Amino acid sequence: MKIRREGDIEYRFEHPDDFRSFVREQKSRKAEPKLCSAKEAVSTFVADGDYIVYDFSSLTRGPQSLIREVIRQRRKDLWIGAEFTLHESALLTGAGCATRIDVGFLGYGGYIGQAVCEGRVRVYEWTNGGLALRLLAGARGVPFLPTRDLLGSDHMSASAAKVIEDPYTGLPVAVVPSLHPDVAFLHVHQADVYGDARIFGTNLFALEAAMASHRVIISAEEIVDPEEFRKDPMRTTIPYFLVDAVVHAPFGAYPGAMPARYELDLPHVDTLNGIRNEEQMQTYLHDNVYSVADHEEFLDKRVGARKMSELRRKASIVEGYR
Amino acid sequence: MARTVEFTDTEFMIAQGARLLQDGKTFFVGWGIPQIVAILGQRLYVPDVIQLFEFGAIGPQSVLPFVRGTMGGPQNTYRSIQWLNMNWAFAYSASGYMDYGMLGALQVDPYGNINSTFLGGTYRNPGRRFAGSGGGNQVASHCWKTIIVIRHEGRRFVPKVDFLTSPGYLTGPGAREKAGLPAGTGPYRVVTSKALFGFDGETKRITLLAVLRGLDPDDVVKDMGFRPLISKDIGEIPPPTPEELRLLREEIDPSRFLIGGEWMSASA
Repeated sequence: MKIRREGDIEYRFEHPDDFRSFVREQKSRKAEPKLCSAKEAVSTFVADGDYIVYDFSSLTRGPQSLIREVIRQRRKDLWIGAEFTLHESALLTGAGCATRIDVGFLGYGGYIGQAVCEGRVRVYEWTNGGLALRLLAGARGVPFLPTRDLLGSDHMSASAAKVIEDPYTGLPVAVVPSLHPDVAFLHVHQADVYGDARIFGTNLFALEAAMASHRVIISAEEIVDPEEFRKDPMRTTIPYFLVDAVVHAPFGAYPGAMPARYELDLPHVDTLNGIRNEEQMQTYLHDNVYSVADHEEFLDKRVGARKMSELRRKASIVEGYR
Repeated sequence: MARTVEFTDTEFMIAQGARLLQDGKTFFVGWGIPQIVAILGQRLYVPDVIQLFEFGAIGPQSVLPFVRGTMGGPQNTYRSIQWLNMNWAFAYSASGYMDYGMLGALQVDPYGNINSTFLGGTYRNPGRRFAGSGGGNQVASHCWKTIIVIRHEGRRFVPKVDFLTSPGYLTGPGAREKAGLPAGTGPYRVVTSKALFGFDGETKRITLLAVLRGLDPDDVVKDMGFRPLISKDIGEIPPPTPEELRLLREEIDPSRFLIGGEWMSASA
């Protein structure tokens, strides 16, 4: 059982040797084609009760189409590692998919804050640094990593962070347990059919999450030739053998932006930010998730070619995103 | 005859914040208002300041007009020196490279401890939930000098915060060190919509340094849930200058999404 409890604090924890066994026995190192639909990726790799993480850069490059598919398939009892809750966690909570969230930053306000106060979702308060460090510990194969923040704050009683005495200086240091999510969702600029992937711009913890998670689902704006990675290894963010599924999803970050590809859809984002009650949430979910079969139908019937052209034109900043 | 300037409480806090920065220093920029402070400061006072975002943008030069709610996006991380990720951003602050940090707060106590997590009730059953730390706890723990930005309303200055999100001087002199926080760090200034506070060197208690021109320090202090220490010579803070306001209103945030607020006035 991977959930530990101390008083009323729960935390997801897996012994490093258990994760290593999983990696040896159940992650394939073979370069085999993994291209599939979002429907297949989610139905194969995402189960009720899973712990999930997603990477993005605020309202940019979020795996929104994958999250919508998780909601469409009505997954339950998910635990989210949310460096930032923003839209992804609010929708998962509103759809009744998520029951627990490890919080870095519980923004934007409104809906998600209310859900916490009403007890519809249970939170644990890790801070952004704490949660990112948990994933680094997972990637680094250690049961915990120390840090010199969290100390003296109330996060020590609202999460499973602990204080120990450093054996080298005698200083009190905070420690956070490693994190091995069941599934990591990442939306990337380019991927090949084997799962090699490139992200242009900043990311939260893309490589840490890909290494530390049991299963990794990537959606990509563009599928490219595997040769591209061999020619330019410095630009590889994630190598193929960490990845379990590749979904070709142009506009997969919509309504968020994709650097140097398309701008964010401000009216749609304002609609999302404006959701304040159950009726508005269910209306949004119906219109944008449940009433369309997949991402392609969503783009076709809810977004439209004209809007997509407009957003592509507006993405004028290309410096650095090559 | 003295001219009167009209401005919002937010515009005043932003102007104050921008004036506090020293050039050629590093600045860990928190989400929201601090971003505007950084942009205004860099344009007017500290062109060589190096900003850092927890999204992993080192030295960003944000495109204007300011795009809110998406700190990691192309406009805000534009023309950085370096793009990394979150663990590396906090490595810079943890190893001592970040001179200033700036954070918003819901509540602050006499030792500069910040609450940005919830108000009323308990952590398990809060009255109202807010965003919480984000990277705020890291900023307040690691940066050499943290600047707190908070609206001047009595209920925000409390003897004890509902949740200690980001550490000030904790319980007083020596408390940070005893808890294991890096030596020599801590809150430096508190910028409010009425005044500027510092921290007494010995007692680590919040100390009134200056008030907005035209305000009575006694009124400012009365509008607080605890009594601060009061500097012997209370300075006078000029209201936002015409250039500060022009930049904010015409170039940085013409839609007034962030700089809007309660209107105030002072003599120019």
